[in-house]
Amino acid sequence: MFHWLEKNPFFFAVGVFLVIAFAGVIEILPSFAEASRPVVGLKPYTVLELAGKNIYKNENCITCHSQLIRPFKSETDRYGQVSLSGEYAYDRPFLWGSRRIGPDLHRVGNYRSTDWHENHMMDPKSVVPQSIMPAYPYMFTKMADIDTAYAEALTVKKVFATPYDAPNGTKLGTLEESRAAALEEAKVIAADMKNKEVKDAVARGEIPQIVALIAYLNRLK
Amino acid sequence: MNSLMVKALAFSATLMIATVVIVKYMNIDLSDPVNIITLLGAAAVAFLTFGVSAKYINQMKTDKSTGELADESWDGIGEYKNELPAGWAYSFLGTIIWGVWYWLAGYPLNAFSQIGQYNEEVKAYNTKFEAAFANPDQATLKAMGESVFLVQCAPCHGETGDGMSGKAHDFTSRISKDQVLAVIKNGSNQLGYPMGAMPPMLAQGADAEAIAAYVAGGMQGTAPAAFATCAGCHGADGKGNNGAAPNIAGYDETLISNVLTHGKKGAIGVMPSFKTRLTPVQEKALATYIQTIKG
Repeated sequence: MFHWLEKNPFFFAVGVFLVIAFAGVIEILPSFAEASRPVVGLKPYTVLELAGKNIYKNENCITCHSQLIRPFKSETDRYGQVSLSGEYAYDRPFLWGSRRIGPDLHRVGNYRSTDWHENHMMDPKSVVPQSIMPAYPYMFTKMADIDTAYAEALTVKKVFATPYDAPNGTKLGTLEESRAAALEEAKVIAADMKNKEVKDAVARGEIPQIVALIAYLNRLK
Repeated sequence: MNSLMVKALAFSATLMIATVVIVKYMNIDLSDPVNIITLLGAAAVAFLTFGVSAKYINQMKTDKSTGELADESWDGIGEYKNELPAGWAYSFLGTIIWGVWYWLAGYPLNAFSQIGQYNEEVKAYNTKFEAAFANPDQATLKAMGESVFLVQCAPCHGETGDGMSGKAHDFTSRISKDQVLAVIKNGSNQLGYPMGAMPPMLAQGADAEAIAAYVAGGMQGTAPAAFATCAGCHGADGKGNNGAAPNIAGYDETLISNVLTHGKKGAIGVMPSFKTRLTPVQEKALATYIQTIKG
C-alpha cells in the first residue's frame, strides 16, 4: 500500500491533505460552535447607545481603556464578573482594547452613574484628582450622529441578522421611529444631568454627544 | 579503538580542559550548583558530540552492506528491507496508544480551565480572608474600611469622604438640608427597611423647612413640633428605632449595609448598588470607617 502511494504522488498528496485537514477540523470546529452564541438575555444596542459607541470609537477611548475583564481575583474585585465571549456577540467591532492607562470599562454601568459621568467627562480631575484623562467639554455642545447609528443598526440587522425588532428585544423600526426612540432615551438621561445646555438641547429635540456616550457607558454591565 | 576514536577523545578532552581554564581565569563561583551543572553539561555535550560522530564515521568506514534489497530501484539506488529499530517501533506504537487515550479521556477529563483556575484562586483567597479576619478588632476594621473606601467609594465621594463639593453624598455630616427637603418632598422606598415606604409630602412649607434645618444641623437643641411626624418612624432621637427605619442622626452598620445593597437615587444623583461586591466583613469595616469621618 505504501509502495503504491510512493509511486503515485497525486494520491499521496490527497492522503496527506485528508489527514491534516481532519486534525484541523476537530481542533477548530468546537471553538466556532462555542464562540458564536450570544449570552442569554443579551439585546442588540439601541440606536442611541450605538451613537455613543461611535463617539467612544471616534475619541479613541480604546487607546487607554480596555473592555475585557480577565479571570483573576484582583480584576473581578475591582471591575466585576469575568467577561464572557457571548457578551460581545452584537459588538461590531468589539472594543476589547489592549492597554489600561485608565481602568477597564466592560462593566462600568454597574458602578458609575449618569451624574458621575457628567462631572467626569467635563473635568476628570474634579472627581479623580490624580487622573490624567483629558477633559471632553465639547461633547456637551456637539450633537450626536443618530442617523449614522441607525444606518449601522439597519446594516447589521440585514447583513448579519442581528435580532432587532424581535419580541422583547431592541426595537429598531423606521428612521423616524428610531429618532423618536433615541430622543425618549436621551430625555431619561438628561433628567439625571445638571448641565443646562444639555437639558435645553434635549428639550429642543437635539441629542448632545455626552448623552449618547452616557447611554452607551450605562449600558456596559 | 582506532585512531579516529583516539583523536575524538583527545579533542573533547582539550575542550574540557579549555573550559576548566576559562572557569579558573574568570573566577567563577563553583559553590553555586548552577555553575557546576553548566560545567558538567558542557563536558557532556563535548563528550557525546565527538563520541557519537566518531562511532558513526567509523561505521561508515568499516561497515560492509548485507541484506535483502527492496523491489524498487530509484535511478539505480536501492533500499534495504530493514526491520524498524525496536526502540523506534515501540515509541511509535506508544505514541498511537497515548494519542487515543489523550483524545478520548486525557484531554476531555483533565482539560485545563481558566474559569476553574479562577474559581480555585477565589476559594483559596476567601478561606484565607475568613481565617485572618474571623474576629477583627476596631483598629483592623477601620484600616480595612479605609482601604475599601479609597478603592470603591472615593471615585465619587472623594478621598476625604466630603462628596467633592456636592458631587456625591458628604460623609462629614449625616445629611444636608437639601437632601432632607428632597426626601420629604418625594418620599423614599429604596433601602429595604422593615418600616417600608415613606410617603411623599408628610410635611410642607415652613414645617418641612424647620425639620430640614433641625435634622441637617445634627439634631441639636429642641425639636420643632413638626418633627413628631418623623419621630413616629425614625425615633425621637432619629436613630431609626433599632433598624426599623433609616438612622437620620448618624451612620450605623444597618444604614451602610442597606445603601450598599440597594443603591440610592437621591437629591444629588444615583448611587449604584454594590451588592455582592463586598463581603459582610468589608461592609462592617466600611461602616466602622465611615463613622470615623468627621468634618
